[in-house]
Amino acid sequence: MIAQEAQYRDWMLAALAGDAGAYRMLLAGLTRHLRSYYARRLDSGAAEDAVQETLIAIHARRATYDPALPFTAWVYGIARYKLIDEYRRHKRRATVPLDEAGALFGHDEAEEAIARRDVSKLLAKLPPAKRQLVSDIKLDGVSVADAAKRTGLSESAVKVTVHRAIKSLGEDVNRDSQKRQGGDADR
Amino acid sequence: MRTDDLIDRLSAGLEPVRSGAVARLLAGAVLLGMAGSALVMLAMIGPRHDLAGAMTHPGMWTKLAYTFAMAAFGLWLVERAGRPGADMTRPALLLALPLLAIALLAGLQMSAPGADMTGLVMGRSSRVCAALVTLTALPTLAATFWALRKLAPTRLTLAGAGAGLFAGAAGAFVYCFHCTEEAAPFIAIWYTLGIGAVAAIGALLGRSLLRW
Repeated sequence: MIAQEAQYRDWMLAALAGDAGAYRMLLAGLTRHLRSYYARRLDSGAAEDAVQETLIAIHARRATYDPALPFTAWVYGIARYKLIDEYRRHKRRATVPLDEAGALFGHDEAEEAIARRDVSKLLAKLPPAKRQLVSDIKLDGVSVADAAKRTGLSESAVKVTVHRAIKSLGEDVNRDSQKRQGGDADR
Repeated sequence: MRTDDLIDRLSAGLEPVRSGAVARLLAGAVLLGMAGSALVMLAMIGPRHDLAGAMTHPGMWTKLAYTFAMAAFGLWLVERAGRPGADMTRPALLLALPLLAIALLAGLQMSAPGADMTGLVMGRSSRVCAALVTLTALPTLAATFWALRKLAPTRLTLAGAGAGLFAGAAGAFVYCFHCTEEAAPFIAIWYTLGIGAVAAIGALLGRSLLRW
């Protein structure tokens, strides 16, 4: 079961009964999923158009939602149809999986942004030279050999530095979460 | 237009949806389409002359029951096909029931002692039966496509085939009132061929006509 199912279904049922506030929240929430879904499959201009077309389709065809069925599967059916339509328009042949509402709801623009923010916050704890190495190798995919050439260190020294930095960050994360749990217990 | 503005506009103009909207739309299409099919049958070939008497024959009820069951499961398939994310396997599997039943009955009649094989299979109208079923079904096919376009079919060939299957069975149901054949083997072969032909037409047209 997809995590957002219950919330979105509630909003959808309220919207079908005429609740504009719930409908706005639903469309805003779906827009985040749709943006990230189309951004990974279409180029940027086409992606935003596809988001809008899908929102209009959801609106125009909302009577076809059967409350006895999962809402996320209904939305995914429409999003997938619009994606295939877009591919067809550009004569691109592609297969799109049929039963994977998770492809739409697994990713979320906001969650991805939070994850990125957490990583950069964590990296900021490292001294600048180490930070550069970790971000080059672990995030940007620079090879160890290239990083060694750039910094003048030996390859094994680069590997050891990155390994130790990651380990110390891991210890930091553990300490933070223990502290947070301790704080909760005090309350 | 910015996406946020679009969301504002869509939610500002929101109207409640009456429950059962899909069922009402489909009911309208079925009534309209079958009225059209009845008109085509009456104008083109007319009802059989001994219709009142035929209503007491078990053969008449056999073909009415067979085509009715095919149409009912076909209509359910169309309803599922019009809803994104809905599963079509159950109505598709149920279609096997009337097919099995008529095949079984046909087998029984053909294995009876002294059965006239050629007569049971070919009847007197085997050359025109499937074609006339197809013609009779066309108004129902058009009405079903019209309704599906207002829904949201996402697998167009499959949705078209479902619409054709329903329309073919509904057309065959109407055709029963013209046709004087009553042998199960005849119905199992020629009626089913007509229904299959309309399903094939629907599948071919679905890709282009059901886009939205």
